[in-house]
Amino acid sequence: MGGVGARILLVEDDHRIRRSLGLFLEDEGNTVDQAVTAEDGLDLFSQHSPDVVIVDLVLPGMNGFDLCRHLRSSGNVPILILTARSDSHDVVAGLEAGADDYVVKPVVPKELSARVRALVRRATRNNVTNARVTFGDVELQPDAGVVKVRGEEVSLTRTEFRLLCELAQSPGRLLSREILLDRVWDYDYFGDSRLVDVHIRRLRTKIEPDPAHPRHILTARGLGYRFAL
Amino acid sequence: MGGSRRLGLRSRVALAFALGALVLSAGLAVLTYQLARSYLMRHRETSVLRQTYANARLVKNALRSADVDIPRLLTSVELPAGSSPLLYQGDTWFGTSVAAGRDTIPAGLRRMVVGGTPARQRYVRSGVPQLVAGIPLPAVGGAYFEVFPLTELEGTLATLRNSSLVAAAITACAGAAVGWRASRRVLSPVAVVSSAAAAISGGRFDVRLDEHDDPDLSTMAVSFNRMTDALEDRIRRDAQFASDVSHELRSPLTTLGAALEVVNARKAEMPERARAGVELLEDEVRRFQRLVEDLLEISRLDAGAAELSQESVVLSRFVLEAVRTRSTGVVAVDIDACAVDTVVRADKRRLERVLTNLLDNADFHGGGVDRVIVRRVGERVQIRVEDRGPGVPREERERIFERFARGRAAGQRGEGDGTGLGLSLVREHVRLHGGSTWVEERDLGGARFVVDLPVRG
Repeated sequence: MGGVGARILLVEDDHRIRRSLGLFLEDEGNTVDQAVTAEDGLDLFSQHSPDVVIVDLVLPGMNGFDLCRHLRSSGNVPILILTARSDSHDVVAGLEAGADDYVVKPVVPKELSARVRALVRRATRNNVTNARVTFGDVELQPDAGVVKVRGEEVSLTRTEFRLLCELAQSPGRLLSREILLDRVWDYDYFGDSRLVDVHIRRLRTKIEPDPAHPRHILTARGLGYRFAL
Repeated sequence: MGGSRRLGLRSRVALAFALGALVLSAGLAVLTYQLARSYLMRHRETSVLRQTYANARLVKNALRSADVDIPRLLTSVELPAGSSPLLYQGDTWFGTSVAAGRDTIPAGLRRMVVGGTPARQRYVRSGVPQLVAGIPLPAVGGAYFEVFPLTELEGTLATLRNSSLVAAAITACAGAAVGWRASRRVLSPVAVVSSAAAAISGGRFDVRLDEHDDPDLSTMAVSFNRMTDALEDRIRRDAQFASDVSHELRSPLTTLGAALEVVNARKAEMPERARAGVELLEDEVRRFQRLVEDLLEISRLDAGAAELSQESVVLSRFVLEAVRTRSTGVVAVDIDACAVDTVVRADKRRLERVLTNLLDNADFHGGGVDRVIVRRVGERVQIRVEDRGPGVPREERERIFERFARGRAAGQRGEGDGTGLGLSLVREHVRLHGGSTWVEERDLGGARFVVDLPVRG
């Protein structure tokens, strides 16, 4: 059963889904804290500091999007959202709100655990290069997991950080969405490119002087992205 | 229905207008002609007779005196051109020309006048219409005649007749033209309704008719709009229901799936029968999941709610990856040299479903996939999935793309059988991409499913 042994916070109001998914994830070797509402989730989060948070977007009271935003504002914990449809605005909205990845309902349990493992791996894996990279106003320290813009440290999620490292490692090279999906998210050819697109948007907002006219993270229309020092 | 072509409503209206115009104008022409003719005739006759009486008196007075030169007298009489005077006196006929002799006057009239009754008559001599007037001169024992050719009058009347006919013809044509134009205006509501109906049957339910102030048309427009509202409502409710049902099935499926995984993890430790039970559960839950996914997909497509998120995809690479990630065995992929770099605009998720469904279909019904081909055909690119199975008989080739249409192997359900929606989803997804799908027979037996897509850039 080789579990990862991560601490997972599961926020889901449907008690059958919550219990069965909780049971499954525990069976895989994880520790699962279960919350029924977003508010409970925030409480449990501050109590236990989980490695990964799984959030159903549809919750009573505060909804999943707001929970994501709250969690984001206080840290970089990897967030996985459960969405009803893959072709709705929910996915993009959830990603914009701060999620790292998503899983569509009905949940295929094996897929869920694969996504969780990928998120945990991203958090603990060493980056390929340790060399510091400086470009424009930005200073990137991969080994320390630190990014500074104009001398001030900027808070990036692990996914965003990983993405930036991948880009900065190959300046001038065209990186297709497929390559980025594979390297950062561990997806095969059929991964959802929206994951890349939204994270690029988020990155630009955080490190580009003018996100609307990026200087470092450039779009190669229809082909992918390119990094310029 | 026989081959007879009926005239359309518009043609009939135009024809009716034309006939009406023709009848009216012809009637008018005839009436005008008759009135003009009788008036002109009378007028002519009256003036002619006045002259004749005057001349008769003149001749009578001249004859009273003896030794009158009658021929010279006659020549000196004032006459309209072409007319001839004739005098009968003392059993002798006198005239001014050889051509106009006693015989030019109809016998009946001659007798009458000579007998003492003035008379006039219209007759035709040698094809020329003539008017003869005769006045008895009892005082001198004779009679005076004048013969007038009516050619000029006839000429005038002929001209009148011809121009009336021409006018009638022109009016008839004008009538037809007016009828044609007028009928278009009258029939335009019909055209509006039929194009609205066509739009609605094409799936656009937002189409409504203007509810005119026109009392004749407003009833129709109102009831048409009400009908469309009801239709739209009904369809929306049906689609909503299908979608709601599928939504509701998601939650239990998640729970089933997760709980099953936990049980499945301990399968090895189970007694045989329990293990068999778990395996059956697993298969069915998986199948159930696929069915719900397909249903959700189809109901979204039905409701027109499908959103495409399109990217530029190198098709050859895409097909290779799709075939590779499907774990069942090794499949030969044959990519045409011209198709290697071909790019299409596609929603990756949907296109992947298309390929997966076709490959699954080949597995379930075609005994396994033989090969997959990517070919350029002009401005299109085709993906062909071929098997060496029994093929699809001609009469089934459209039916299999319908919902829940099962193949002939439906009797023997294998493990992980299809949902019955696979091919209809293929068709719908491909259609959304501006392409088309069909199935053909391979030369050496087996089926070839073709997906035809437009090429971009």
